[in-house]
Amino acid sequence: MSIIVTEQLTRRYGRRIGIEQVNLEVPEGVIFGFLGPNGAGKTTMIRVLLGFLRPSAGSARVFGLDCWRAGHRIKEDVGYLPGDLRLYPSMTGTDMLRIFGSVRRRDLLAPGRGMAELFVLDLTVAVRKMSRGMRQKLGLILALAHRPRLLILDEPTVSLDPLMRQHLMQQLQELASAGHTVFFSSHNLSEVDRLCDRVAIVRDGRIVANESLEALRAGAKREVTIRWARDVNPRDVNVPEILEIHHRQDRLWQGTLRGPVPVLVRWIHSQPIEDLAIGHPDLESLFRRYYQPEHSQE
Amino acid sequence: MNRGLLIKSLREVWIATMLFALALMVLEAIFAYVLPTFADQFSTFLLQLEFAQRMLQALLGTDIGDQIGPGVFSSMAWVHPAVLAIIAAHATILSTRVPVGEIDRGTIDVLLGLPVSRWGVYRCELVVFLASGLVVIGMGLAGNQLGALLLESKPPSAVQPLLVVVINLFCLYFAVGGLGWLVSSLSDRRGKAVAVVFTILVGSFLLNFLAQVWPLAEPVSFLSVLNYYQPMLILRDGGWPVIDMVVLTVLGVVLWVAGGLCFARRDICTV
Repeated sequence: MSIIVTEQLTRRYGRRIGIEQVNLEVPEGVIFGFLGPNGAGKTTMIRVLLGFLRPSAGSARVFGLDCWRAGHRIKEDVGYLPGDLRLYPSMTGTDMLRIFGSVRRRDLLAPGRGMAELFVLDLTVAVRKMSRGMRQKLGLILALAHRPRLLILDEPTVSLDPLMRQHLMQQLQELASAGHTVFFSSHNLSEVDRLCDRVAIVRDGRIVANESLEALRAGAKREVTIRWARDVNPRDVNVPEILEIHHRQDRLWQGTLRGPVPVLVRWIHSQPIEDLAIGHPDLESLFRRYYQPEHSQE
Repeated sequence: MNRGLLIKSLREVWIATMLFALALMVLEAIFAYVLPTFADQFSTFLLQLEFAQRMLQALLGTDIGDQIGPGVFSSMAWVHPAVLAIIAAHATILSTRVPVGEIDRGTIDVLLGLPVSRWGVYRCELVVFLASGLVVIGMGLAGNQLGALLLESKPPSAVQPLLVVVINLFCLYFAVGGLGWLVSSLSDRRGKAVAVVFTILVGSFLLNFLAQVWPLAEPVSFLSVLNYYQPMLILRDGGWPVIDMVVLTVLGVVLWVAGGLCFARRDICTV
């Protein structure tokens, strides 16, 4: 079942495009990465999903409900962390957990305190006296404390130190393994690579890729190093098209693989090689390629 | 009504409300004590100067006749610009909290990220606004009675006409709040919204003032909200200014509903 479904979703700000004809399906129980450079339309997409913005065209549904008309019902089971988080300055973390718990009609204080221990946050400090990192932790606790069915996070690791990022990743993985869905907006490629099951890449308001991480990895280039067992004449070697050799020094060849690894392995099996090294898929350069304006759109 | 939202709003407004209430209480106590104490001297002085008489008439918003009696002096405590400024400032501050205050502060993302409808938030704000207004105006009435009690030589004013005055004042407070909500729902910056409300209120005050001294302004004086708040007539003649109260209440309701419709349909952008 899909938790989020958008069809031809478009949101414009006057003449400027926020998002354009976005078709997206986010299945239940996955960590869905929503990647894109600044200004690509990530936050606009989230604001439409939360019912803050009315779509200019198309539709957006969460749990099967229309995001604009039934926003408040949808949010009963949604946890949300805004990208530019602002909290009530005069309140402490405890106050906010009490009040948010009262609004949600459930006790958030006990789970909130547990998470505050994990994130090393003093809940008795007023928000105005908190550092940016502390506020971000409190925002995460408020979004996670009711264990929502859908968690929407807009660049959540900003201002968090590496240890806290690690804790957050663990929390999100635990949630996903328990069947919860995480919509993770970011422009941090390594985080998405480590965490997400699926990823959509948005650029200039349009989705330019929407695939599983596995499929993306399969399409990403890898560095390949071949050490021949004896001297070979390059003219005698029938290198497959997916492998582009860019450096030759004696018996050591280096190249870039732009295709499936099994095809390379089948070919190399018949070659007189001494050693073969295939690097990790270079997602970063793949993403960079998607980010670049000249990349053709899907 | 969502209890959590009510608690949140009350927590945020109670300090400002108490400060406004105390200020009004002190001011009313002073007026209630000072004005009758010097009423005789004031009457003689004011009746000698036509200009001063007209200014007083403009301030009270109605014709004071050829006698300046105790009703006129009692009503001055309820139309003094400082009193009106306190009421208008409190109404403006509270009515521009949501949505524009939350948008300007950036906290609306967190607020509307909760399972609450925009109308739900808006209704809670109305309840808190009305309750706070009752406290402020009630404290003003208490101050007025306190000042009168300190005047041992004068009999205390009758409470019933004063109650009618404060109910009329409460209607005025609600009308100003309605204006605040509508402007708030159409704005993205709180400072701008407050400035718009303030400008309209000053214009309204000036129109009501000018209508008493400038015949050309009189035909349009009905456009001023202060035209529907005349405590002197209540204190002097008794009775209930039902039409004035209805006009102010209907105005408040219409503006509040219009603001709610705008808020429910608008886009929320904080970045």
